[in-house]
Amino acid sequence: MTNTRIGELVFLEHFAPLYKLPVPEHLAEPVTQSKLKEKLGRWGAGIVKPDVLAGKRGKAGLVRKVENVQDALRVLRDVAAEEINGQNPRGAYVVQMVPADLEIFTAISYSSRTLSPAFTVSLRGGMEVEAISEADKVTVPLNVFQGLNAYQASEALAKLGLKGKLNSRLSIVFVNLWDMFITTGMLRCEVNPWRVTTDGRIWACDFKATFDENNFKARDLGLSWPEYPSRETAFEAEMNAWAAASHQGQAHVSSLGGKKILPLLFGGGASTIITETLTQLGGEPIFLSDFGGNPPYERMKKTAAICFEHHLHQCALLLILGGKANNTLIDVTFSAIADAIQECVDAKGPVSIPVVVGRGGARLVQGMVALSKTLSNLRLPYVFFGPDTPITLVAEYAVALMRAGEQRKPKGRL
Amino acid sequence: MIATTLARILTKGDRVAVSNVTGREAMGVSIASQQYCGNIVGGWALGHDDEVIAVPRGRDIRVFGQFADLLKALPARERPNKVVVYSPPDAVYGDVKEVVENGQGIVKTLFVVTEHVSVEVTAKLRRLCDLARMDIIGCNTLGVINAPAGVRVGAVGGDAPGESFLPGSATIISNSGNLVNTIATYLQSAGLGISFGISTGKDPLILTPLKDFLVLAEKDPRTRIVVLYVEPGGTYERDALELLRRRNYTKPLLVFVAGAFAEGRDISLGHAGGVVDGPCTSATDKMRLFDEYFGSAPFNPADTRAASRHLARTRRGLRATTLHALVPAAKVLMEVLRLKPDFKPVRPVALNPWIVDLGALADKLPASLALQPGNVPSPYKELLAQQLKGGLGRVVARQSMRNASHASSNDGATPRVYGYSLPALMERPAPFAQAVLLAWLGSPPARDFEPRLFEMCLTASLTNGPGSISAQGAKLAASAGNEPHTAMMATLGTIGSIHGGNGKEAARFLVRLFRETGLVDPYDRKKAPNLDQRVQAYVADYQHRKSAAKNAGVEMEKVPCLGHPVFNREAVNYDPRERVISRYLEAQGLYNVFLDFYHRLARELQRQGVTSKVHAVNVDAVLTCVCLGIAWPLLVEKKITLERAVDLPFLTFALGRVAGGAAEYLDHRESGTDMDMRVPVSECRELTRPRD
Repeated sequence: MTNTRIGELVFLEHFAPLYKLPVPEHLAEPVTQSKLKEKLGRWGAGIVKPDVLAGKRGKAGLVRKVENVQDALRVLRDVAAEEINGQNPRGAYVVQMVPADLEIFTAISYSSRTLSPAFTVSLRGGMEVEAISEADKVTVPLNVFQGLNAYQASEALAKLGLKGKLNSRLSIVFVNLWDMFITTGMLRCEVNPWRVTTDGRIWACDFKATFDENNFKARDLGLSWPEYPSRETAFEAEMNAWAAASHQGQAHVSSLGGKKILPLLFGGGASTIITETLTQLGGEPIFLSDFGGNPPYERMKKTAAICFEHHLHQCALLLILGGKANNTLIDVTFSAIADAIQECVDAKGPVSIPVVVGRGGARLVQGMVALSKTLSNLRLPYVFFGPDTPITLVAEYAVALMRAGEQRKPKGRL
Repeated sequence: MIATTLARILTKGDRVAVSNVTGREAMGVSIASQQYCGNIVGGWALGHDDEVIAVPRGRDIRVFGQFADLLKALPARERPNKVVVYSPPDAVYGDVKEVVENGQGIVKTLFVVTEHVSVEVTAKLRRLCDLARMDIIGCNTLGVINAPAGVRVGAVGGDAPGESFLPGSATIISNSGNLVNTIATYLQSAGLGISFGISTGKDPLILTPLKDFLVLAEKDPRTRIVVLYVEPGGTYERDALELLRRRNYTKPLLVFVAGAFAEGRDISLGHAGGVVDGPCTSATDKMRLFDEYFGSAPFNPADTRAASRHLARTRRGLRATTLHALVPAAKVLMEVLRLKPDFKPVRPVALNPWIVDLGALADKLPASLALQPGNVPSPYKELLAQQLKGGLGRVVARQSMRNASHASSNDGATPRVYGYSLPALMERPAPFAQAVLLAWLGSPPARDFEPRLFEMCLTASLTNGPGSISAQGAKLAASAGNEPHTAMMATLGTIGSIHGGNGKEAARFLVRLFRETGLVDPYDRKKAPNLDQRVQAYVADYQHRKSAAKNAGVEMEKVPCLGHPVFNREAVNYDPRERVISRYLEAQGLYNVFLDFYHRLARELQRQGVTSKVHAVNVDAVLTCVCLGIAWPLLVEKKITLERAVDLPFLTFALGRVAGGAAEYLDHRESGTDMDMRVPVSECRELTRPRD
């Protein structure tokens, strides 16, 4: 499961009106010629933007100014079809052009330094807020129970040299921004920038936010989360759906694009280290996985079954590896994996890849014996290591074994 | 941080309370902790008031409904100063608040093990604990272990903490709970034991940051080296290193930073907080920060001289680039800084395979990859030998079977037994024996003679006359006016390990004798092991044990299923039911190695004068020989468990005999009179004289 992210359009349509945050007018799909004509007539000019989750100014190149209907329709079509950092936009929309004398950049997030929420404001933008130098921004650590008050916001703005009525207006807006942040279970929200017009009006002109999947407030906000097109593979999609369906244990995977080693890895730290080793040595791991958390038999079996269904018959080596478990019962996880391999082979036919196993923890020997019996029955060559062999050495061995097989059979299967 | 030393976080004598202690994980971990160090004074879980968690070889854990109840019930000297939170994510805030409100001045440290706590709640927990002057570690910590004191909280070290955490002088501070345990095991290869093992947790907010732990580690008199496992996310390392520079930190660090491979890829690491979100939060940035602090390039195991030179100058520590390089790096560090090992290194850092079967592949691999089994350390070695030796039968993982079954299913249209349609089974010849064997073995009988033999066994079990205990059971129930199922239950209730159930003992006896013979098919005469040799060896051993038992004046353990209370009057005795099956086998040209063994054993015992006659091989024995003969190939192929195989003879007897019990019931209800099984008072003997 991953934290939900949203871009400006959802903010414009759903959150800004709820929290009285001043935003320019916008027009999203379905865009009709008559509506567009009416809007552009009033606005003078508009900005066409892609509805995409591309951070770090990734969509800047696709933000285009339009002044007439024909141009606007054409640009809307072009922008909607453009890929940005490998992501396709959900669509495109047009926002009222706001000419500004001043731009202000804000972010609310949680700070690992103060272990609290923090409000950051700056007159410099064009980069991640953390990347702005300390001298150019003001960060206010917040009491999570009390949040941001107008006085704090005003002081921060004053430090940046913003005083008078604008300071007051902005302070009130920022307090509303905090209200949105804390009542919707956000992890982080950024307005980059707020634009202030010559007559002193304030507009939130771009927005992105991440919601905390673990925060109950974010679970039911009365809107259906936008489905941004993703490059999720069929395997990732199935695994993520399975992970979402269960609350016990983990089944975290991210495809890495490799084609050689099928890694069933256990533990957040161990899976990171092992995948790093495999990647560095050219082991081409198919995905990053973390199947720790003492999964019950049925959960582990289904998780392994999905992995095998997608990859067992295509990979060059199966690696089952984790550190010395504190909690996980090894016989349960290994028996589940053994049964899943058996069923996959029963259903799809035999395989002849080597299997490398390394693990430690409770009921280890029983687990090893159960798994080795199945591997023997399936006539798969195998090597088991205990917790006395470092996981990184086991990963190195797995890569070497896989490579030896490749040299012997250029097509990659032993 | 409130604690001023690591020992204030956890030491001997601390009293631990556990929230949601009846949960699956909390209970298992608490039982293991209690067995390891006995520091849990109680737990609480809503709706579980007054329950007790039994702790084998340890003090049971009392369960209360709420934390306040626990405080009220425990005497002052037992009130917890440490609390481990295992509550579900949405309950964490409420439970910590309850601890803070009721435990102020009593509870000093909270360890939040729960994963998936929201960041907002995490920040609130920190604020609550700051106000209450309590330390809080987590969320998503696995706990802390103080190895020299032999105490832990949470699950660090699993169910055998003493195995990984040998007392010593390294303190591990790790973003990964698993890596605390894993690194402690590796450091044994450098002769380094552990002072404290600390899992910080790796949620987006780490409630006790690295710098706080490092300050305490510096003060810890036992800690000579601090080992860090670091992941991307957060500025904890930057903040810590700023502090170390300011205070001229005196203890050397040994560091491994993971996660650089994920940079530039849109993937999330296993830990929720492993998110790069600004300067100094990526793995690469963190590596750079440590390299700058150490004033040297990362440790290269192939060039330990360079590392030694740098270290001699800076004395600040080393960064390893692979996890297993922590061991040579630790050795260099100890050598340069003249730190004596805590103990002799237990093993070299090398590939040490435990189980290997590369088959034909081994011949095609270079020698460095065609590994041979290495030295498995104790106690795994003995356990592995035992498990591999006991190579008969399948090892099955346990799971909740409340609403699950392999044995039966019904999709609303067809009832099935192990996936086979029951109506289709009914169409086969000898359907009952076929179906029961399928139901008991999980696969259909492999050979045609198996159902026939099995049916003969059922028939042989039907009755042994009205005087048998099981028949009497049915008759007693009938005489009392019971329904037929009660009489059948009475029959089953009056068979046991002595009457009818001896087959289970016989099965165990035969498994013990034949498991290492390489026997594959007990019905194959040609491949039968040498029985004479085995019989001779057994009789010699039996005779020896018999005379030892006689000398000691204790009862000798008998050979199961040899001899019968009725068929015992001749010099050579036979159970007629056994004879029928033996003759059938002979007539069909079949052979059963177990039955052959039994007959030879009976004869040899008499021949060598161990007994005065040839005992009958009784019906339980022949049932066992037949059933175990059918099950044995499945045991060899790991298709069924040993437990299932040894239960088969008794189940066969019980199934046959319960039908016989039904016959006694029907007969008795028809022809008997009510209460006719009653023994008249005149026939009862008083063995106790009246005392009132």
